[in-house]
Amino acid sequence: MIRARTFTDARQQSHSNAELNWWIFMRISGLILVFLILGHIYMTFIQVSESDATFDAVVGKLANPAWKFYDWLILALSLMHGANGARYSIEDYVRSRPNRAWVKGVFYTVIALLFAFGTIGLFSI
Amino acid sequence: MYRGREGQWAFLLHRLSGLAILAYLLLHVFSIGSFIFGERFYMVIHETYDLWPFRIGLLFVTAGVVYHAFNGLRIIVMDFTGFGVAYQRQMWYGVLLISVAAFLYSAWTLYPRLVGGY
Repeated sequence: MIRARTFTDARQQSHSNAELNWWIFMRISGLILVFLILGHIYMTFIQVSESDATFDAVVGKLANPAWKFYDWLILALSLMHGANGARYSIEDYVRSRPNRAWVKGVFYTVIALLFAFGTIGLFSI
Repeated sequence: MYRGREGQWAFLLHRLSGLAILAYLLLHVFSIGSFIFGERFYMVIHETYDLWPFRIGLLFVTAGVVYHAFNGLRIIVMDFTGFGVAYQRQMWYGVLLISVAAFLYSAWTLYPRLVGGY
């Protein structure tokens, strides 16, 4: 809840709210990702050979809407979880303000492009 | 560098494994997603990643994910319970044990395939 009388107050408070929301998001998405990703590794790496993941196998698997949704959920959650985790590292180790701005800018752009690429790929089949 | 006790090493490993997994994720999404450029493009990348150093690298990705997953659960337990903080050291050794066991299990199961290439 934001109870601010000036813009500066609101900005400070909303900043900490966003930080708190990301903190909660990391716990919840992490809990879900444990099942999604360990299941993904078991089904696509432990049980199935890497050389089985041919073009036809991938296209065939993703034709099933259930796998499409499973993979898209991993894509969305893990990219957000990973991007926020990397943001923590950037804020800890990139000390100067201008450097931090462009490092984050480039990094978020890469994440956004990859998310768009993965989503288009999944739903174009 | 500050060399604390288990908590510090748990934190450092969590960060490093997280960043390594993110780097792998970016490559993985690109290489698997590249099927939208057609079969030839996809298979060129795929055959490169099928070389044995990459296949063995997957074992380390697996161990890294298992460590990150179980240490993440340890963090959640620490955040929301009192006993989690009291037993964080013991839980961390449990996490390490699970990670090593997962690495050995997948290495043992996949050994012929990873080295033989089929």
